[in-house]
Amino acid sequence: MDISVVILIASFVALLLLNVPIGIAIALSGFFSLLLSLDFVSTTTTMAQRMSAGVDSFALLAIPFFILSGFLMGQGGIAHRLIEFAKILVGRLPGGLAFVNILSCTLFGAISGSAVAATSAIGGFVIPEMEKDGYSREFSTAVTVTASTTGMLIPPSNILIVYSLASGGVSIAALFLAGYLPGLLVALCLMIASAIYAKAKGYGIASEKQSGELLKKTLDAIPSLFLVLLVIGGIVSGYFTPTEAGAIAVLYSFVLSTLIYKEVKIKDLSGVLNKSVCTTAIVMLLIAASSAMSWVLSYENIPQSISDFFLSFSNNPIIVLLMINILLLLVGTFLDMTPAVLIFTPIFLPIVEALGISPIHFGIIMILNLSIGLCTPPVGSVLFVGCSIGKTSLAKVIPPLLPLYLAMFIALLIIICVPALSTWLPMVFGL
Amino acid sequence: MSLAKVCNRVDYFLEVFTSALMVGLVLDVTWQVVTRFFTDNPSSFTEELARFFLIWIAFLGAAHVFRKGAHLGLDYFVEKFSPDAQNKIVKTILVFVVIFSVCILLIGGSSLAYLAWDLDQSSASLGLPISIVYLAIPVSGVLFLLFSAESFKNYSNI
Repeated sequence: MDISVVILIASFVALLLLNVPIGIAIALSGFFSLLLSLDFVSTTTTMAQRMSAGVDSFALLAIPFFILSGFLMGQGGIAHRLIEFAKILVGRLPGGLAFVNILSCTLFGAISGSAVAATSAIGGFVIPEMEKDGYSREFSTAVTVTASTTGMLIPPSNILIVYSLASGGVSIAALFLAGYLPGLLVALCLMIASAIYAKAKGYGIASEKQSGELLKKTLDAIPSLFLVLLVIGGIVSGYFTPTEAGAIAVLYSFVLSTLIYKEVKIKDLSGVLNKSVCTTAIVMLLIAASSAMSWVLSYENIPQSISDFFLSFSNNPIIVLLMINILLLLVGTFLDMTPAVLIFTPIFLPIVEALGISPIHFGIIMILNLSIGLCTPPVGSVLFVGCSIGKTSLAKVIPPLLPLYLAMFIALLIIICVPALSTWLPMVFGL
Repeated sequence: MSLAKVCNRVDYFLEVFTSALMVGLVLDVTWQVVTRFFTDNPSSFTEELARFFLIWIAFLGAAHVFRKGAHLGLDYFVEKFSPDAQNKIVKTILVFVVIFSVCILLIGGSSLAYLAWDLDQSSASLGLPISIVYLAIPVSGVLFLLFSAESFKNYSNI
């Protein structure tokens, strides 16, 4: 291996272990490695230029918009109404509240783009309710954490926008449609796993009587669910670009939460804006640094060497996909999703495309695979948020997470082996 | 004025400025949709302006988030050390943040902005000098340095 590659990997691992902010660790390791090939000023200028080019994209603008609309909806009583609606649908089944939890997270994922937002918005309501109904706090937290990753696949999804960028322009509309069935499959697998777990532990049946309120609760949830039609319908039919749809989503959720549901006051808005700016800046620093790192990697011809290495093993698409997935599972445990997608898509996509795998299918596989990493230590942003929302500790939440990891893993295997789950819907809509 | 006071003021200004850019972003893209649907003359500058806003939000916001200590990191292993050792680790981290701010943001960003100014590059539809857009990078570098100094001082006083 080339010395510049050794420096890149060694400095990245060292900086990461030292707890240097990941975006800065990525940028610095790219910088140190590039210093071997270019003079000092060219290296600094190239890094700065690659970083700003990384965030200079109109498509990326959808991300701050979906973040902002997510925060508006999280505070605006929308989460609560979705939960009530989910109760009508699945609340009376055995293990009902676990189902309500999963379905609410999926519905919230269908109107916002971030799993962390779903965990805090839904978990804050459902975990205490589940505990009251006899479920353990740890199991309830585990369910929320894993279920909220369905929002990564179900559009609008910020990470699918990042993948579209990293893949060099796979249509965002096609990726959004591709995410629906796999997202629902993950939710279904989680429901089956939690039903078995709840039965084994003797957790209760939802005790709530629901009568008369059915119509009101459904009517209450309709304005929230209408957002799906507006945003996804607008994108798929070509009325809006995803970025424009994001701006529309912000305006709609603003009107809904301040004027209709009246749960966000004007004085709360500065806080919501600041939180959105911070979340945006965190993601954008990762995107800027990862784009620069990705450029350094291709400057040093790494993708080509890795591709040769993989293809020398096998030409069977399934075997290559499985090898890539094992590697991604490892990567996902210690690297956040955004840099993982930006760094590894340019490396792996040419390999799988050479084997005839659709870039849409591969995108869905990659996102689901890395979603598992969001729920595992040592780096698992959704897991950590879940533990703080559920007021439980990492060590205690791991045992009930194990069957749910298995469920996600089974869903991943199904999605790898059945490409139609990802490619059928975009094909039906001619994307 | 003490360092902490300066940082508080600068940070407050950052918060207001980036929030305003965020609102500007929403209005800008909304304007794009409105002019495309309701007039025959869709606005052409909105896309460019939005991209420039995002670059400023990204780089200034990164410094603001750094002061809050909210950037993602791997604290799992570091937390296992004694408080004394952790203090030393935090200072080491700050050294790397300073290298990042000086080399990439400050020197790299200034050189990038200077190149764009020297070549007289301006944006396609607004005609703005591109160097103004790139200026976000060295400005962010200065802010990172300021907040690193504050953090270093705080950890030295313990």
